[in-house]
Amino acid sequence: MSAAADRRGLVLIAVAVAVSAALVLAYLAAGGSSYTPAKVQDPCEPRPWRNPQGIEEIAQQFSLSALDGAACELGVSRETLARALATPESRDRFTRRYGINDAQLAEAIRSGLLRAVGDAEEAGALSPLVGVPLRETLRRIPVEEAIELIQNARSLLDNVQSFLGPAQGLLEEFLP
Amino acid sequence: MSDAPRPRVAALALAVGLVLADSSIVVLALPQIYRELDTSVAGVTWVLVSFNLVMALAAVPAAHLARRVGPGRAGAVGLAVFAGASLACGASTELATLIAARCVQALGGAVAVTAALELLPASVGSERRAVALWAAAGATGAALGPAIGGLLTELVSWQSIFLLQAPLAIAAGAPILAVARHEASTGILAAELPRTGRPHVLANLALAMVSAAIAAALFLLVLLLIEGWRLSPIGAAIVVSVMPLSALAGSRLGARVASARARAAAGAILVSGGLAGLALLPKAAVALTVPPQILVGVGLSLVLSALTETALAGRAPQAIHGGWTISARHAGVVIGLLALTPIFTSDIAQQRREAIDAGTAVVLDSRVSPLLKLDLAQRIEGRLESERGRVPTIGPAFDPLPSDPEDRAAVLELRGELQDQLDRGATHAFSPSFLLGALLGLLALAPIGLARRVEL
Repeated sequence: MSAAADRRGLVLIAVAVAVSAALVLAYLAAGGSSYTPAKVQDPCEPRPWRNPQGIEEIAQQFSLSALDGAACELGVSRETLARALATPESRDRFTRRYGINDAQLAEAIRSGLLRAVGDAEEAGALSPLVGVPLRETLRRIPVEEAIELIQNARSLLDNVQSFLGPAQGLLEEFLP
Repeated sequence: MSDAPRPRVAALALAVGLVLADSSIVVLALPQIYRELDTSVAGVTWVLVSFNLVMALAAVPAAHLARRVGPGRAGAVGLAVFAGASLACGASTELATLIAARCVQALGGAVAVTAALELLPASVGSERRAVALWAAAGATGAALGPAIGGLLTELVSWQSIFLLQAPLAIAAGAPILAVARHEASTGILAAELPRTGRPHVLANLALAMVSAAIAAALFLLVLLLIEGWRLSPIGAAIVVSVMPLSALAGSRLGARVASARARAAAGAILVSGGLAGLALLPKAAVALTVPPQILVGVGLSLVLSALTETALAGRAPQAIHGGWTISARHAGVVIGLLALTPIFTSDIAQQRREAIDAGTAVVLDSRVSPLLKLDLAQRIEGRLESERGRVPTIGPAFDPLPSDPEDRAAVLELRGELQDQLDRGATHAFSPSFLLGALLGLLALAPIGLARRVEL
C-alpha cells in the first residue's frame, strides 16, 4: 500500500477519534452524566418546614412530617408510603410486599404524627401549649382509629386537620 | 457485467438484503409484540435472538450444503423455506410458535444468503465485485430493516412485516430457478469441490464484537424511543432512519480510503463514540440522538464492509468464508442482546422506581392544595398500576385539569416536573447498556490491530 494511502487511513482514524471525543465531551458538558431522577430524601433525616402560612399549610406540612416519621419507622421512603396510602388497594399491596400488618402500620403512623408535632413546634408553627395536648391525644388514639385514619390518604389529612380542629382557636391565637 | 440477466443480480441482492434485514426488522415491532402476545421484555427479545442464533449456527453448514447440492437449487429452496416460515411468523398468535417459525426462517435465510454469494461472481463478473455487492446488500438490508419494520407496524401491524416478506422472497427466488434447473440437468459432485481454507479468525472476531455493539445501538435506541420516550413506531422509524442514511454517506467515505484496517478501526471508534453519546444524553430529546446515530451509521458502514472484505480476501471458496462472516455477525448480535437484556431490564426497573419516587416527591412538595394533591396521588397510583411495570405516561393522570386558573397553572407545572423525572429515569436506564455496547466496539480494535501482524 502506498504512503499516501497509509496517510489517508491515519487521517480517517484521527478524524474518527476527534469526532467521537467531541461528541462525548459536548454531552458531558451539557450535563449528560447527571441527567438522572432526583434522589429522594431519607425520611429519618429532618426536613425543614417552609414558612407555612395559615392553618391549611400547617396541616399540609404536618401531614408531610407525619409521613416522614411513619416512613422512617417502617424503613421505606416517604414517597413509597404516600403512594401506599393513596387507595385501600395500594395499601394492601404495600403491606403484602413489606410483610407488615395493619397494627404495625398504625403504630408507625402514630409515631409519625408525634414526630410531626415536634417538627411543627421546632418550626415555630405550633405553640407548645397546643403541642402538649395534641401529643396526648395522638398517644391515646386507638389502633382501630389509627387504621381508619390511614384507610386512605384523604382521611389522613382530614383527620390531621380534625386533630387541629378543636385547638383551632388556640392555634390562631398562638400561631407565630 | 457478465451475460447473466440483470434480474438475477437484482434478485440475489434482494435475497441477501431481505434475509439480513430480518435480523433487525422486528426491532420496532417488539413493543407491540410484547403487548399483544402478553410476554416479558426478556421473552420478546427471543424473537430477535432466535433468528440471529440460528443464522450464526447454520450459516457455515448452509454454505457447505449450497456448494454440494448447487447454489441455484439451495438458493431457491432456501428462499422457499424462508417465505413459508415468514407466513408462519405472520400467522403466529403465541410467542412460542413465533420463535419456532423465526428459527425455520433463519435456516432458509442462511442457505439463501450463502448460496447468493456463490452465485454472484458468475453474475457480476468478478469475485471482488460479488463480495462488494453481497456486503452492500446485506448492510443496506440490516440498516433499513428497523425503519421499514417500524413503518409497517404503525401503518398495518407487526404481522404485516412477515407477511410482506413471503412474496418478496418468492420474487427473489424466481430468477434463481433457472440456475437450479441448469444444475439439475448437469449435476454437481461433492468430490469435485476443492478443500476449504481456514477462516480469518481475527476479522471474524472483530465482526462479532462490532455486531454486538451495533445490535445494542439499534435495539436499545428503539426501546428507548418507544418504551422510554413513548414515540409511536412510525415516529421511532423516522428517528432511527438517521442510521441507514448515515451508513450510505459512510460507504462513500470508505471508498476513498484503501486501507481496510484503517476503515475498520475508524468505523469501530465511531460506533463506540456514537454509543457513548447515547449513554450520555443530556436530555430526553429526539434531536440529541441524531449526532450519535450519525456516528454509529457512518461507523457501521466503514467497519462492516472493511472486515467482510478482509475476511474474504484471497480466501476460497467464497460461500464458506461468507458463511463465516454471517455466522460471526449474527453470533455478535446474539451475544450483544443476551448480555445487554438482563442489564437493561434490571436498570429500567430500578430507574422506574427511582423516577416514580422522585415524581411523588415533586407532588408531595408542590404548592397545590392538599385535597387536590391527594386526588392526584390516587390518580397517579392508578396510572402506575395500569402500566404494569413499564415507564408510565403520566399525562392522563392529570386530566381533567382543574378549572380554577391558579390550580390549573400549578397542576400543569407539576405535570411537567413529574414527566421530567420519568424522562430522566427512562433515559438513564439505558446508559449502562449503551456504555457496554461502546466498550464492545472499542474491544474490537484489538483484533483489528492484530489482524495485520498475525495472519491466521
